[in-house]
Amino acid sequence: MKFLARKIKGNSLWSDALRRLLNDRFATWSFVVITVYVVMAILVFFNLVGSSWQESMGPSREAPDLSQGPLHWMGLDIFGRSVVLKTIQGTYTAMYVGLVSSLIAIPIGVLFGAVAGYFGGWVDDLITWFSTMLANIPEFLLLIAIAIAMGKGTTTVCIALGVTSWVGLARLIRAEFMKHKNREYVVAAQALGGGHMRRIMKHIFPNVLHIVIISFSLRFVTGIKSEVILTYLGLGAEIGQRSSWGLMIADASGELMQGVWWGLAAATAAMFPIVLAFSLFADALRDAIDPKLRH
Amino acid sequence: MSSISFPKTTRYLMGLALFLGLVSMSACTGKAGAKGVLKMPAAADAKSLDPAMADDLYTNEAISLIYEGLVEYEYLKRPHQLRPLIAEAMPTVSKDGLVYTFKIKKGVKFTDSAHFAGGKGREVVAKDFVFSFLRIADPTINSGGFWIFDGKIKGLNDWREKNKTAASVDYDNGPEGFKALDDSTLQITLANPYPQLLFVLAMSYGAVVPREVVEKEGKDFGNKPVGTGPYILERWMRGSKITYVKNPGYAHSSFPTEAEEGDDKALLADSGKTLPLMERVELSIFTESQPLWLNFLSGQLDRAGIPKDNFASVIDSGSNNLKKEFADKGMILTIAPSPDVTYTAFNMLDPFIKKAGPKFRQAIALSGDTKDTLKVFYNNRGIPAHSPVPPGLAGYDENFINPYQRYDFEMAKKLLAESGHPGGKGVPVLQYEIGQGAESRQMAEDFQRRMDKLGIKVQINVNQFSELLSKIDQKKAMMWGVAWGADYPDAENFLQLLYGPNAAPGPNGANYNNPEYNKLFEQMRYMADSPERRQIIHRMMEIFATDMPWLPGIHRVTYGLSQKWLKNYKPGYMGGHIAKFLRVDDELKAQGVK
Repeated sequence: MKFLARKIKGNSLWSDALRRLLNDRFATWSFVVITVYVVMAILVFFNLVGSSWQESMGPSREAPDLSQGPLHWMGLDIFGRSVVLKTIQGTYTAMYVGLVSSLIAIPIGVLFGAVAGYFGGWVDDLITWFSTMLANIPEFLLLIAIAIAMGKGTTTVCIALGVTSWVGLARLIRAEFMKHKNREYVVAAQALGGGHMRRIMKHIFPNVLHIVIISFSLRFVTGIKSEVILTYLGLGAEIGQRSSWGLMIADASGELMQGVWWGLAAATAAMFPIVLAFSLFADALRDAIDPKLRH
Repeated sequence: MSSISFPKTTRYLMGLALFLGLVSMSACTGKAGAKGVLKMPAAADAKSLDPAMADDLYTNEAISLIYEGLVEYEYLKRPHQLRPLIAEAMPTVSKDGLVYTFKIKKGVKFTDSAHFAGGKGREVVAKDFVFSFLRIADPTINSGGFWIFDGKIKGLNDWREKNKTAASVDYDNGPEGFKALDDSTLQITLANPYPQLLFVLAMSYGAVVPREVVEKEGKDFGNKPVGTGPYILERWMRGSKITYVKNPGYAHSSFPTEAEEGDDKALLADSGKTLPLMERVELSIFTESQPLWLNFLSGQLDRAGIPKDNFASVIDSGSNNLKKEFADKGMILTIAPSPDVTYTAFNMLDPFIKKAGPKFRQAIALSGDTKDTLKVFYNNRGIPAHSPVPPGLAGYDENFINPYQRYDFEMAKKLLAESGHPGGKGVPVLQYEIGQGAESRQMAEDFQRRMDKLGIKVQINVNQFSELLSKIDQKKAMMWGVAWGADYPDAENFLQLLYGPNAAPGPNGANYNNPEYNKLFEQMRYMADSPERRQIIHRMMEIFATDMPWLPGIHRVTYGLSQKWLKNYKPGYMGGHIAKFLRVDDELKAQGVK
């Protein structure tokens, strides 16, 4: 019975998820697209790309011209600036807002969800009441109110998005914690003397981490879209510091009637792949790491 | 598959409900093509319909359909002249120019209100004007219009001071300056000669309001207006539309019988007819220009200004005329200089601006080319402003050249160095406040780019309009871009914007305070137009050009389009909304909209 003695190596949740992701062509391509945008944003941050976006390259609102080199491929804006460079610059703003707003929203959602679900009772009532109240305020009104109260700018957008968008995640985490807190492995940990903190962080949290990861990629997309909308409404990115896709779309609101379509086209063309890639990747991630969806 | 089935009666009821729904929808659609309706756009909503709150253009226009005062501007005459409205005739003025006596027209009535005896509107009497004027000075109301009477009416400032501390404002013991001698005689006594008095009385602040309604409605008076004007408020959908219906008892104003030489004779087609000419007026609010323009093109508006972004598609750049496709539809182009000035103001109380001195501001002025601004942002619809005073006003000097209203980058750098900031060294980040909208932002970006070349960093702060005004009033803004439109056709209305005692929260938001300028202003404000006065104004402009508390922008020219069915439109009117003079030819409109 030699074959029975052979050691069978089991797959961990994460290595299995990775294998599933790599086998999913959409997920792989989405990841490549996301990586390209992230690299682009990093290059913009270090001024290695697009730092000369403020320079005039030609006449106001010159139409796209393939013969004059890549900087003229998407035409020029009202001040003769390259729309290609503005779009590249906008990548940084979008990625920055997506990342920072998610990094603010997720810890808040996890903390409130975990505490409410784990402790229950009046703590749960209080947190549920607060989060329901927050969720019932129309999101954009709340965002606008925060942006007006704190002053406009990219940082404000991040904070506003962060503090208004954690409710959904908190509810999911709360439900998971309610489910897990009485399971045998948690009860066993308690019997062995594990305190609340240890049970929450060491035992339950790793079992709900997949929700956090999926939520992160979904939040990222919402962050990018909200930045564009808030900037379009005049509440977003600082003007003149960095370009933003929202500002480009806002400019297009009047320019389209003059036949100046390239600013809008460039901003939407830049936004579409990253939003799609994040959405597809989030779906694939959920399929890969959510135990309930495994077959 | 499953399907939902209803009992027969329910099906009939549902069918009836659907039918009624469709009928009511078609009735609503029918209203859009109703006869006798004038449809005009407004760029912003009114903040109140109380004349004491008519602080901005849009509020003033919305109010002027409902309320009116003693006098109004002649609709067709230029330069602007006044004609009596609720006054029987223009006032008699004492020899010293201090006492104005008005006779009130008989039979002018307020519109009906439950607060009048029997619910019927009562006749306007002289003491209604005394009450209305005192309201403007009432310290508890905090009207933005107090400046029209401030320091000018005998005893009024003392009355205001006394009532600041009183338990309730005493309207029954008004100052000597406002007296109702009898029901039909009103006397205004001035503290000093004030030639602009009649002009300010033509503003909405000078409108008459009924005391009993004001007192009973309290703060709600701004939502439930009761005036003597050509229209009555029908409905106010905030941020969307204000609708008015004709005041059935209106009979005291008629279409003018004289026009200017060179005016189209068709302008006098309604000559002598009792106003208003339309049964209903709809003011639709469009904060963005594109929806406005699309509504105009589809015939849903009778008139529209041509938005900057549509200019090239409407106007032929060579001939400056309407392009064929618009001319073929019978649309009428009107071009008129707008009595206004755009400017970027410095807060002269800001520690850095104060310390930097005039050379710094001169350098900033020289770094920008107004001709470029005109081309990029205004489609060349305007002329560079050399002083605050726009053309067409008594006191405008077309020969005055501001030496810093030009582009000279080398000189700008030199002056910046002389101000102690070579290459922008030591200049903090300039905080530039603007209102909302893509156009304001792009203009601010243009300024930011100009400053960048000089080595100066600028941060642009976008504000709601009310937020921007509040920052200026509280002296918290460092620099901002705004425009001022004439309240009345006199240079004084623009020169007061830099008069020291008018500092924020008054109209001098720049908080400019030059003793010589102030002294000259005090001299000219009480003078009628004359060579001597023009000389004083010229000297004031020289002082302005040296100190540069503002970067003067442009005096705009307004390009607008009327539908072919809109009759009697003449551009450049100064006093409120012109709805009562306009007429829509319903037959032409029915053809045009088809």
